[in-house]
Amino acid sequence: MFSEQAAPMAQGLLAPPSAKPPTFPRVPVLGYLDCSQPFQLGERSFSRQYAHIYAVRLAGMRPGLERCARSQWGNDIVLRKLSELQAGEKCCVVGTLFKAMQLQPSILQEISEEHNLVPQPPLPKYIQPSDELILEDELQRIKLEGAIDVQRLVTGTILAVYGSEQDDGRFLVEDHCFANLPPPLPWNGPSSDRFVLLASGLGLGSVSGEALLSTQLLVDVVTGQLGAEGEQSCAAHIIRVILAGNLLSQNTQSRDTINKAKYLTKKTQAASVEAVKMLDEILLQLCTSVPVDVMPGEFDPTNYTLPQQPLHRCMLPLASAYTTLRLVTNPYQANLDGVRFLGTSGQNISDIFKYSSMDNYLEILEWTLQAGHISPTAPDTLGCYPFYKSDPFILTECPHVYFCGNAPHFESKLLQGKEGQRVLLVTVPDFSATQTACLVNLRDLTCQPITFSGFEADNED
Amino acid sequence: MEQPRRITDSFPRRLRRRGAGRPPGRLKDKKDKKDKDQDKVQVKVRDCSRSPSQPAPDPALLEMLRRFDLSWEYGPCTGITRLQRWERAQELGLSPPGPIRDALLEHRDNPDVTYRWVWDGMGW
Repeated sequence: MFSEQAAPMAQGLLAPPSAKPPTFPRVPVLGYLDCSQPFQLGERSFSRQYAHIYAVRLAGMRPGLERCARSQWGNDIVLRKLSELQAGEKCCVVGTLFKAMQLQPSILQEISEEHNLVPQPPLPKYIQPSDELILEDELQRIKLEGAIDVQRLVTGTILAVYGSEQDDGRFLVEDHCFANLPPPLPWNGPSSDRFVLLASGLGLGSVSGEALLSTQLLVDVVTGQLGAEGEQSCAAHIIRVILAGNLLSQNTQSRDTINKAKYLTKKTQAASVEAVKMLDEILLQLCTSVPVDVMPGEFDPTNYTLPQQPLHRCMLPLASAYTTLRLVTNPYQANLDGVRFLGTSGQNISDIFKYSSMDNYLEILEWTLQAGHISPTAPDTLGCYPFYKSDPFILTECPHVYFCGNAPHFESKLLQGKEGQRVLLVTVPDFSATQTACLVNLRDLTCQPITFSGFEADNED
Repeated sequence: MEQPRRITDSFPRRLRRRGAGRPPGRLKDKKDKKDKDQDKVQVKVRDCSRSPSQPAPDPALLEMLRRFDLSWEYGPCTGITRLQRWERAQELGLSPPGPIRDALLEHRDNPDVTYRWVWDGMGW
């Protein structure tokens, strides 16, 4: 692994300077292909309703789900639409899930005057025992009960349920299934050790500057200015850095100036201006040495709805001069040396976290892969562009590395699928809180955290 | 009266949709500029004096198109042109009827044919 190779050669730092210092050329980039065209929006039109995206989601995932249902419950099961249901008949229905939640923030309730409600403060989770699941297809909807975990599922998931309709009009579920892992991609990975560094949540522009030392240490390790020859030779195997969102901190989003009078705020600058300048300098140091992919996140200056468009290069004048800087969308998909990466900056996972009983980000990440959709809660509770032709968040091919940024901790898991899929699931932690980044080895799909802690507050040395 | 030319005239003017409070002077300029889809629908609703040069389409054709709009198998029909809806249905494998597409391409210039029928005051 990374650190094992580095350790034995630390003695080099104590030797006298040699006439010809050793150089470590960075391993060349063999193949890079950007596959995130479905997430790049050209001309945007918001005059459409969201019914289209749900309709194409159902129509697009229905064939796969019918196949999964047949393979799970037998070839002779009856597939029915909700309008064709007969009471008491055991059949399978494919539809979109809707979870009716009492605590779900509703703008209509907030602005309704007859209720006189104070707007609800944001809660960590909006689930309640009284939530109900409703299955909708193209024409009708029906309430679900039975062997289905109401708390765990979220709105927008496409699933197949097997059961029968009861006399009271509800559907008694005996079993349900999701689209399961998408078909595997062929493996063309490298034969020698190559690392990709995943980091997210740099959080520049925050009030406290604690993470700045760690960020600088990260940059120094990647550019090979830190450590002895061992570390430098290892750093030369890092072929790419992916920054998965939240480059700016949440503090840069403060909107106090909106409420103040104009004469007080005339000369003040938005906090994000300084933060973006800092980001530009950090990226400049990185780009001179290694290709960098920058994904926008929740607090970055780009659009709010998913898919977030790349940051504009005019904001990063110093770093955009280098071709190694790639400003990419969120979600991001690319082929790095034959290994398919797919990841987001974490908004989809944290949104599911709020509306589901699942607590672990890695568990939610795995669940989205099993459900065959990157972000089922969009557009219900997560902002989404009103697509009409196709839903780009449906997973059609199984990536080799599937990551999400801005998670509370680092976790990783290698998932083996039934059709030979091998996926490395990584939850990239928030760097400003944990000072941890991840190194993914492309040769054998292993992942290692790397922590850059500075001086601790209670360290008395 | 012609407006004075500007340097920015070489870029296509993009019209933004306004609500009911749109200044009336704007409508006169519409004939010179390249319209986008939504604005064409706006014009159709607010300014009905267009279009007399094209032959009136066959009522049977319009009836067939309305039935295509209302058939639930091909998804929602609001906010997109009939041709876009047809092509989407084709890509999803729902096999929409071919004659509809031929009719849509034949009468491409007629806003009554290309867009879903609009009821009073609510353009999509």
